[in-house]
Amino acid sequence: MPEPTADIRDPTGWSEEVLPTRLSAIRESERRVLSRLAELGYGEDCRFAVRLAIEEALINAMKHGNRMEESRKVRLAYRVLADRVEIRVADEGAGFQPACIPDPTVDENLQRPCGRGIMLMRSYMDEVTYSANGAEVHMVKYRGSPVRGFPPEGRRR
Amino acid sequence: MADKDIIQTIERDGVTIARVRLEAILTSEQVEAFGKALLPLADVPGRRVVLNFLGVHQLTSMALGEIIRLHKRLAEAGGELCLADIDPRIWEVFAITRLDRLFRIFDREEEAVAALLGEGEAET
Repeated sequence: MPEPTADIRDPTGWSEEVLPTRLSAIRESERRVLSRLAELGYGEDCRFAVRLAIEEALINAMKHGNRMEESRKVRLAYRVLADRVEIRVADEGAGFQPACIPDPTVDENLQRPCGRGIMLMRSYMDEVTYSANGAEVHMVKYRGSPVRGFPPEGRRR
Repeated sequence: MADKDIIQTIERDGVTIARVRLEAILTSEQVEAFGKALLPLADVPGRRVVLNFLGVHQLTSMALGEIIRLHKRLAEAGGELCLADIDPRIWEVFAITRLDRLFRIFDREEEAVAALLGEGEAET
């Protein structure tokens, strides 16, 4: 069973993996990123956030970007620095316009399936930016930063 | 993985308590198994269900989709769904996505059962 076909770490700290479009391929890559976070002492909240964001980004890339065509690849690049974690996920699909995704939190969309993954990525990471065609997402999480986008009326119990 | 390894169900006073036995509903396999295990819960018309998340520490938007699907199917069949014992980090996920407005969420299983039996309204 082919697993990531490349794992390259460059001098700037970026590691890159090329994954087949297969949801089961996500787990190992995710595990490697999280191990790196643990090595550098990132806390549980940060690891929770990064894990959720990577999972959502890779699922989106495979399902919506590559339309689950296994021959298409997903490129995952990451670097874990002392002050931040950066993740890039790129697919081989036609791209999309994030601004066109309906807001999943308005009443009429609460029971619809779309947009929730992107919303979680934006809430749990500090920066989420898309390439012009939407086929690549770049996410940054700073050490110690709180969850953004948490509703003011909400609270952690 | 058998459904009973994903969801353990017990009946109490006419309420079905479904305890999720996964620590994470994250990978495609986990989400698929979770969704499959939820399906039979909506088979009985008018069923009242408490979905207990004690011990679940992570889930994704796909898992949320499966819970929404159960909620819709139960509602269509005249039933009702409450959620209980949700880890604080998971509760945040529900709050961020505003699904805390869609679902009735309780701190503890017994509070959810009582609410479904019309004995209390201690929603969080």
